[in-house]
Amino acid sequence: MKSLADKERLPREIVAMRVAKELPDGAYVNLGIGIPTLVSSFVPEGRTVFYHSESGILNCGPIADEGEEDIDLINAGGQFLQRVGGMSFFDSAEAFAMIRGGHVDVTVLGSHQVSATGDLANWMLPQRGVGNVGGAMDLAAGASGVIVAMEHTDRNGQPKIVEECTFPLTGKGCVYLIVTDLAVIECDGKRLTLKEVAPGWTPEEVQQLTGARLTISPDVKEFEL
Amino acid sequence: MPGKPLDPTAMARRAAQELTPGAVVALGPGIPCRLPGELPPNGGVWFLAESGVVGFQGLGVDLNVVDGSGEPVALLPGGSFTGVVNIAGILRGGHTNLAILQPAQVSASGDFVHWTTNATGATGTTNATGTTSATDGLFAPGSAVDMAFGASRVVAVMPHQGPAGQPNIVSQCSLPVDGVGCVDIIITDAAVIRVGPTGLELVEIAPGWTADEIIAITDAPLTLATNVKDMTFEVPELIPPNKVYATAIEALKDVPEGAVVNVDGFAGPGGMAHYLMVGLRDVGVKGLQLISNTAGIARMSAFGAPNIIDHSILVENNQVAKATASYPVSPSASRPSAFEEAYNRGETELEVVPQGTLAERLRSGGAGVAAFYTPTGVGTLLAEGKETRTIDGKEYVLEMGMRADFCIIRGHKADTLGNVVYKGTSRNFNPVMATTARITVVEVDEIVEPGQLGPEEIVTPGLFVDRIVLRPPDFSAYL
Amino acid sequence: MTSETENPPRQGKVFPSGLAALNGITDGASVLVAGFGGCGIPVKLLRGLAEIGVGNLTLICQGAWPQESGKFGIADLVAGGQVKKIISPLPFLPDNGGPVKELWEAGKLELEIVPQGILAERLRAGGAGIGGVFLPTGVGTRFAEGKEVRQFDGQDHIFEAALKADFALLRAQAADTLGNMVYQGSGRNWNPIMAMAAAVTIAEVDQVRERGGLDPELIITQAIFIDRLVLAS
Repeated sequence: MKSLADKERLPREIVAMRVAKELPDGAYVNLGIGIPTLVSSFVPEGRTVFYHSESGILNCGPIADEGEEDIDLINAGGQFLQRVGGMSFFDSAEAFAMIRGGHVDVTVLGSHQVSATGDLANWMLPQRGVGNVGGAMDLAAGASGVIVAMEHTDRNGQPKIVEECTFPLTGKGCVYLIVTDLAVIECDGKRLTLKEVAPGWTPEEVQQLTGARLTISPDVKEFEL
Repeated sequence: MPGKPLDPTAMARRAAQELTPGAVVALGPGIPCRLPGELPPNGGVWFLAESGVVGFQGLGVDLNVVDGSGEPVALLPGGSFTGVVNIAGILRGGHTNLAILQPAQVSASGDFVHWTTNATGATGTTNATGTTSATDGLFAPGSAVDMAFGASRVVAVMPHQGPAGQPNIVSQCSLPVDGVGCVDIIITDAAVIRVGPTGLELVEIAPGWTADEIIAITDAPLTLATNVKDMTFEVPELIPPNKVYATAIEALKDVPEGAVVNVDGFAGPGGMAHYLMVGLRDVGVKGLQLISNTAGIARMSAFGAPNIIDHSILVENNQVAKATASYPVSPSASRPSAFEEAYNRGETELEVVPQGTLAERLRSGGAGVAAFYTPTGVGTLLAEGKETRTIDGKEYVLEMGMRADFCIIRGHKADTLGNVVYKGTSRNFNPVMATTARITVVEVDEIVEPGQLGPEEIVTPGLFVDRIVLRPPDFSAYL
Repeated sequence: MTSETENPPRQGKVFPSGLAALNGITDGASVLVAGFGGCGIPVKLLRGLAEIGVGNLTLICQGAWPQESGKFGIADLVAGGQVKKIISPLPFLPDNGGPVKELWEAGKLELEIVPQGILAERLRAGGAGIGGVFLPTGVGTRFAEGKEVRQFDGQDHIFEAALKADFALLRAQAADTLGNMVYQGSGRNWNPIMAMAAAVTIAEVDQVRERGGLDPELIITQAIFIDRLVLAS
């Protein structure tokens, strides 16, 4: 019998696609590095989403083509962007006024760990002794809350969803939705509710790879895209 | 028979003698607004209007360009528009050399009252929240309080007596004051009086007046200066200081050992002052405390290149004692930056600050905000040991404003007055950092004459910039 | 799969009339009103408030200075009895009090005086998610009474709390359909800061341009801060 560790999980693109479904029409969205970066490619037809980046740009265009890179036009993840109509530039103080002031509607971040109460730990691995916080803490503190998009377990197969974070926190109780390659989990600050599971996975199997207790939603279903 | 009171123009011309080249000057309503019209329009000083204008001269005709009294003024070549909040920052943040106000009263210790509804001086009270009720007098200072508290020096220009003959220079203000001990010098229609540590000193007398006559119409005790002079009305010639430096080394050679230096570049290479960085390395000054978004990762990052110039050249030259940064080390632990290696060897200190908090601490430092409460970092390692406070049910952490000795920033173009425009996302920390340093040095691709950058286009007004260096056309940002 | 550049801009930001744009404003609302002297005043929206007849308003503004004859201003709303309170650095000019002074003296209007830079900083804090700030302005004066005083670097500072409002009425020269805006001259004044500090922001503009019609380097107020747009004429 195959162990759970070897069982097929969803590709990153599907995780990103599932997150994209959560973005309301007209929303201002900040996407972190990793799986979140992919989300912009999967916004459902008919919806318009505006991207904000801490590098000081709003209404970011698509990623620049090779050979067209402009060092004066980047997003916070270090990708070069295309020039599009409707974008605007501003300084760092204003970029973060938008985040902290509750003007950015949705933030999608990757994470090392998420706790049962929605704590986020994504900026520092203790063994390195030093970490890059960048804009993550400001995004976590932004009024709108955070969607986490990540793999369900780390490279060593350890659960990334845990009862309490053991890595340094980015923000307390700021995560309201977790989308992984195995599950969609709602977080209300008190408990984690399993809403959707990857095709071929049972709620019990997802629980086995989760370090915190999951409340299984009575209408738990397969990933809806 | 006392002399004839001076007219407001003569008072304004005398006040103009307090100006120095390149000074940033805030003008309150009334007589102070006459000053710009008495000076040649050469941009020798920066006049501020609290309506959001930087750099104007005399009356204008465009109803879209008004001063603090709502009167149209003419923008100088090199003048620019900004909002009221930025003007408040320029006033409070230590960028304003002189405030020239027309108070209703000034006291022996330099307290002042700006204006009241009741010119005869009925007393009124305000309650603790500053709310005035109908039975009180109204004391509305506009920007006068911001100007008086923010400017390095405050000049009061005012009639010596009120309309009913009552003294305006008094032992103690009879009305609620708009500033305590703020006024440094009083220029009236009869005299010039210095506010000293022990009281008021008569230093100049208007034509036709005697010292006794002035003492007679002054309520506050007045001593005579050892060398009382006649008031004169010639306005000084104010030539804008030269800000253009030939090389990066010229512009940075006086950076002192241990200096706090703001360095921009979100992560680089865009918005990074590579040429000034090389200059700082060649100057060789040690013990630098860098404040910067990263501590040099452009060599490791996706948008950089292995041989790009970044903070690493300063680290490798053993010049960096400390970095304050949000993204201090390489994204990959297996490819450490020069800074991370030096940090691991114990050669440098590190303070990690969330990026938005870093931006806000700099903005606060530049705008005279001592400290602020932010929700960022509450409950994390980076808030440990810091005060927290619950405001309207939400928890915040107290963070301090931050300033620097020097700042090296990267603009796209500057004019010779120091106005700067940026390019795309290379703006990032640059305009914020430009407001925080004692000496701000900008590296640009092009230097133009005042007026060639549009007043709506200027992002950093020239009053923040001390030195301008052209990045040589043949300079390479790669090692 | 779509890219945002292929989609039409966000619908619903451009409203057909001032009245439509003011939809939802109710008695007792707190309203930021931009403008300085005669510059950058949202005249159409102020007229709209008069037409709706909403009362008990708290207005936060530079002042209710009298306007040129025929031009509607805050003073007219005050004269119409719609305003309960004005928070301002200079509600009326010393030599020209108008209806604001009259009603205030008659006890029918409350005035709260806040030095201009403090008001600007409180609004910026509100818009930028800052809980409050310590400022050096006004130490030892009535503006500091009842407030926490604390020393930083040996200097007294006063705690000033963030300030936000229900609505902001703004005035810009041009907007694009997304809500990015530019101003003309000192028409900028309170606009960018007020745009950040209200739950609903409504801007009156001379022109609405298509997306891409504004230079990204020149945009002063970004679309993220603007909810509703209406043409001035």
